Amino acid sequence: MSIAIAPRPTRRFSAAARGVFIDVPLSVLLSFVVVIVVVLMSVAPGLFTSYSAVLANPSTKFLAPSAQHWFGTDNLGRDEFARIVHGAGPSVGTALIAVGIGLFAGGLIGLAAGFIGGWVDAVLGRLVDTLLAIPAFLLAVVVVTGLGFDTLNAAIATGVSSVAIFARLMRAEVMKVRHTVFVESSYLQGGSRGYVLFRHVLPNAYRSVLALAVLQLGSAIIVIAALAFLGYGSPPPASDWGLLVADGQSYATAPWLVYGPAIVIVLTVLSINRISRWLRKTN
Amino acid sequence: MTDVAVLATDQLPGGAPGSWSRGRPYFVYALQRLAQAVLVILLAYALSFVLITILPGNAIATVLGNPQSGLSPAQIKHVESYYGVSKPVIVQLWLALSRFVRGQLGVSLVTHQTVTSLIGGALPYTLKLAGTALVVALILAAVIAYGSQYLPGKWARSVLRAAPSLFLSVPNFVIGLLLIHEFSFQLHIFDVLDPDSPVGTFFAALALAIPICAPLAEVLIANLDHESQQEYVLVARSRGLTQAKLFARHLVKPSMLPAVTIAALIVGELMGGAVITEEVFGRNGIGSVMYQAVSTQDTPVLQGVVALATVVFVVVNLIADLVAPLLDPRVRLRGGSRREVAAA
Repeated sequence: MSIAIAPRPTRRFSAAARGVFIDVPLSVLLSFVVVIVVVLMSVAPGLFTSYSAVLANPSTKFLAPSAQHWFGTDNLGRDEFARIVHGAGPSVGTALIAVGIGLFAGGLIGLAAGFIGGWVDAVLGRLVDTLLAIPAFLLAVVVVTGLGFDTLNAAIATGVSSVAIFARLMRAEVMKVRHTVFVESSYLQGGSRGYVLFRHVLPNAYRSVLALAVLQLGSAIIVIAALAFLGYGSPPPASDWGLLVADGQSYATAPWLVYGPAIVIVLTVLSINRISRWLRKTN
Repeated sequence: MTDVAVLATDQLPGGAPGSWSRGRPYFVYALQRLAQAVLVILLAYALSFVLITILPGNAIATVLGNPQSGLSPAQIKHVESYYGVSKPVIVQLWLALSRFVRGQLGVSLVTHQTVTSLIGGALPYTLKLAGTALVVALILAAVIAYGSQYLPGKWARSVLRAAPSLFLSVPNFVIGLLLIHEFSFQLHIFDVLDPDSPVGTFFAALALAIPICAPLAEVLIANLDHESQQEYVLVARSRGLTQAKLFARHLVKPSMLPAVTIAALIVGELMGGAVITEEVFGRNGIGSVMYQAVSTQDTPVLQGVVALATVVFVVVNLIADLVAPLLDPRVRLRGGSRREVAAA
């Protein structure tokens, strides 16, 4: 067997790229730009700001937004934009962890329930019903109280509260595929359960599960921000976006301390929801 | 239905609306659904108990071990034996469940009041807030849905169509702070220091309602889209019905059924959101009781609030599921005494 992994001709690549970009609406492209910027902020905050997010500077207290300080400065003279940039990791990176937990645990539960069926389905079904019966935000509060107040624990709590939704969707998707003709014929041709799972069930389920994951990423950001707002995340000088809003609310004369982080949260979640909507439409 | 609506209806606790058409008479379905609801409430209580008890920070021991708790050694002994702290988790769980069935939720570790009286005292405030918010959310959703269909000008209609996804992207604490900043600090329409005044309650309810009306509005818009393409609408219009009459007589009813299901689901979000809104607006209520319980590690109170929210949520959804077959002849039970109608 010859191993010929030649690099793709660039012409074909650019043609493909052009095809993709023509299909993508402008608002979705902008959303991707916002998401990429936010992800870069959480990976390499130093690229975006040279100000420190923690060191106080009494001479620059409560400065309104300007060219030097895009989002103004806070009660300790720290650059609000720098605080937001350094808060991207604990606000958005942790949302990824939350969705990962929900996707993995929920996906496994839904897969087992739908694929094995019988009493496994019945038991897991009751577990999912139970998780759904507790309002999601309260469930997250219970878990974070049990684990202790910390941003990572808030992310775990958010993930736990979304397990049931993923499990339900995954089970529905598996059930949809399970009784189709092509799966039955695959069994008849001697396909093992594992083969059918990886060849047919998962590839068919992944689009709608992916769309849900992206949608949940947006709501995870909101839930983690709400937990941080209530003080259930890491304590200051951490600069989670929710915590920044909570800190800013004490200073009515410096509304930019609320508006800055609030606008960043809304823009990020709005972009993620736009991408999720687009993914579902192109399904 | 949009996909968000599908996702939302996917989250029904205990059996999606499809589960009634299995050739059972209505009362058998109702009884099964009732039994399921009771089971789910008990399991949810057990789950929240296990989560609070076994997770690392053992709150009861922490609070009791705190020399500033103001408890005498005899009182500590009493609390310990009440909760069975030294016994294995499974025994504690049994104790908690058997008390829960009898309607006892324990005693606060901090204020030493019973949890039922603490919650009972705060409940009216939250009912007022959540009830107002539910009404505001229903009106907002209806206005958005109606406007998205009939507002003159394509531009205005598409703005309204985009509103639900914008509302979904704004955390409700942000909405609350903006409302306080604009309407209290700038325009002086209400006083933040008197949050229980009618106007203050309205603005708090608005903050709670805006994110919550979004899924409802989305479902209504999708249903109205679907129904206005039906042929009976064309017939009605050719009979000379005005837009408003057509909407009121023909379109509202068929668009309502999925909305009932979604409205029941958002009750859960209302209770989660109430914690934040009460904190933002400085209101009394279940949410602030829970907030204090969390910050003082007062686990019996926390668990009582969660149990209350679960019971309300499950019961409201039970009612919605029981009412749904009665509202729509298409989903009436097959094989029952009623005429069988093929589901469209």
